[in-house]
Amino acid sequence: MKLGKRSGSAVVLTAVLVTAATGCSNKAQDSGGGSAASGDASEVTTDVGVEGNTINLGVLTDLTGVFAALGNDITNANTMFWSDNKVCDTYDVKLDVQDTGYVPQQGVQLYSGMKDSILAMQQTIGSPINTALAPEYTSDQIVNFPSAWAQTLTEIPGTGVVGATYAVEIANGYDYMFQKGLLKEGDTVGHIYFEGEYGANGLAGTQAVAKEKGLKVVEAQIKSTDQDMSSQITQFKAAGVNMVALTVAPTQLASAAVAMEAQGLDVPILGSNPVFAPGLLAGPAANKIKQDLYVASPVSAFDQHEDLLKQYQAAYPDATPSLGVLVGVGMSELMKQVLDSACDNGDLTRQGVLDAFNGLENVDTNDVVVPIRGFEPGKSPSLESFILQPADVPGGAKVVQDAFEGQFAAAIAG
Amino acid sequence: MTQFLSLLLNGISLGAMYALIALGFVIIFKASEVVSFTQGSLLLLGAYSIARLSEPIGFYPAVLVGILLTALAAFLIERLVINRLRGAPVISLAIVTIGVDIILLTELIRRIGSDILNVPHPWGSESVRIGEVGISQNRLIATGVAGVLIIVFFAAFKYSSWGVAMRASAEDGETAALMGIRLGRVSALAWIVAGALAAVAALFLVGAPTPGVSAAAYTVALRAFPAAILGGLDSTGGALVGGLLIGLAESFAAGYQDQLLFLGRGFGDVVPYVVMIAVLLVRPSGLFGTKELTRV
Repeated sequence: MKLGKRSGSAVVLTAVLVTAATGCSNKAQDSGGGSAASGDASEVTTDVGVEGNTINLGVLTDLTGVFAALGNDITNANTMFWSDNKVCDTYDVKLDVQDTGYVPQQGVQLYSGMKDSILAMQQTIGSPINTALAPEYTSDQIVNFPSAWAQTLTEIPGTGVVGATYAVEIANGYDYMFQKGLLKEGDTVGHIYFEGEYGANGLAGTQAVAKEKGLKVVEAQIKSTDQDMSSQITQFKAAGVNMVALTVAPTQLASAAVAMEAQGLDVPILGSNPVFAPGLLAGPAANKIKQDLYVASPVSAFDQHEDLLKQYQAAYPDATPSLGVLVGVGMSELMKQVLDSACDNGDLTRQGVLDAFNGLENVDTNDVVVPIRGFEPGKSPSLESFILQPADVPGGAKVVQDAFEGQFAAAIAG
Repeated sequence: MTQFLSLLLNGISLGAMYALIALGFVIIFKASEVVSFTQGSLLLLGAYSIARLSEPIGFYPAVLVGILLTALAAFLIERLVINRLRGAPVISLAIVTIGVDIILLTELIRRIGSDILNVPHPWGSESVRIGEVGISQNRLIATGVAGVLIIVFFAAFKYSSWGVAMRASAEDGETAALMGIRLGRVSALAWIVAGALAAVAALFLVGAPTPGVSAAAYTVALRAFPAAILGGLDSTGGALVGGLLIGLAESFAAGYQDQLLFLGRGFGDVVPYVVMIAVLLVRPSGLFGTKELTRV
């Protein structure tokens, strides 16, 4: 972890002043890790959300709505992470977990209830809620980690998308398909995508790659409530597609896979990270999915983090862990590095945390999440993605390609 | 040609399921003149019960219990809510059913979460190939079951005393009551049947090619609504024809969306409503609906 140029003079000035006044060193800046040097809370400036040696962070998640299973996993992982970690070895972190039920209005109300007691937002689930809260997060100088990867979220100051945006992610997926010979220049690709930001962003990735590689793209836009992908697959088959790309939800993946089998469309599937859920492996689409689905993902899988899996299963014996656990741990690790850096700078005020966030560069989360190059407005925070394939393992998927930057990523990432 | 036939077959099978759900709307409307908006959540209840029970008690018993449970839920809605409001304007009753629907739906969505529950259909995702065209066995069976059920109800309305009582009470409740028809019983039975039909539709809706119970299954019922309306809300035959029309229109609009691009992306989603409006402009009571005659 290094401080970047963008952190500006404020951080430097604050750091110099605090160092001079207190003798608190900044050695974490060049130590490359998250450990901090300052040991005494009284040496650090604070404003909202820090009481004594406790930092309060907000969590707006979904425990009862449509993304409840994912929300539970991410939130459990947040809680597990902070029960084992402290900010610069001094501060405990307390999470204020609130359930939005995936309703933006509910999210806005819950935030207004917690905003005077929290320093930053550990998690805000879903693009709609993040978008609804963007003006408030901006004016309150809130550092926030969303569990969505849409390009528009990168425009919100202080909001750190945990990995590559959907466009970069799927472009990396294409790169993998080309490398493995599953797709060739000039081929035809059918892309089913949701209307709205998620789908549009995924499609943008496909279009960018298509332009480079002379692919012909058959586009099929659907609503998130559409269930039956038979007609779209029929259309793709008639067009003679060589690959199907999906920027949809697991339900549509299941339908597309079954329809492809029924209609004899024997081509690989490339999916954006939200398309996959372990539950699919118990359904009729399992065989096709295990054989032909490749998922471009900002997080790794449990086969590379068995210790995390064990830790999670010990903490939550009744849960069926999904890859949401890795998202949760990854975003907590990012928050820890931001707060450690702010603490090293002697400034745990909201402004100080925001400055530390803006100054992060080349963040490593022990390969739980892809390497983050830094958070700049409008730019994909990462150029890299993992490629996963479904398998009968905890979390439902294994890594077939470690985090890598595809040839199209830099051009799309901004 | 293959694409056309494939879309045609998919449209018919989709339409058959819409017809089953639309039939539920029709039966309740015929018995009580209430437009029931609860079919969506009843459908989801059926799917959820079958999925949850399949593992512990096996597939077929789970189907049976799922259908019974859904019928029971519909019966309770009728007894506890609709029956107590008898005599209230039908528009109020329709709004009340929206409220009941939201309550039931919210609870089911909470229980389902973002999980995908699978129903272990014995026919799985096997498909049948007719020449170049493939269709899932699940859809084929669904089409058959829908056809049989619709014929059975068509006959029941025409010839059984229950059917006559139902038609009489829909026509003129007061006179029917004076003639000794027990309106409450007719209405309760209609709701039970509609609940059971929703569960039967659900059983096939959560199989290939749309496997898994998720909250989105609910929205299928909303698409069956235009089917019931354009067929004529009081006509069983209309439910069938309306369902097929909507299913075909949707399948073709989605399959030929590139050719329909001048209408904008996502046209397939609005097709059911475009068809409904087009039909209603020509025939305000729907294709087979009874024309309202008012003597002045």
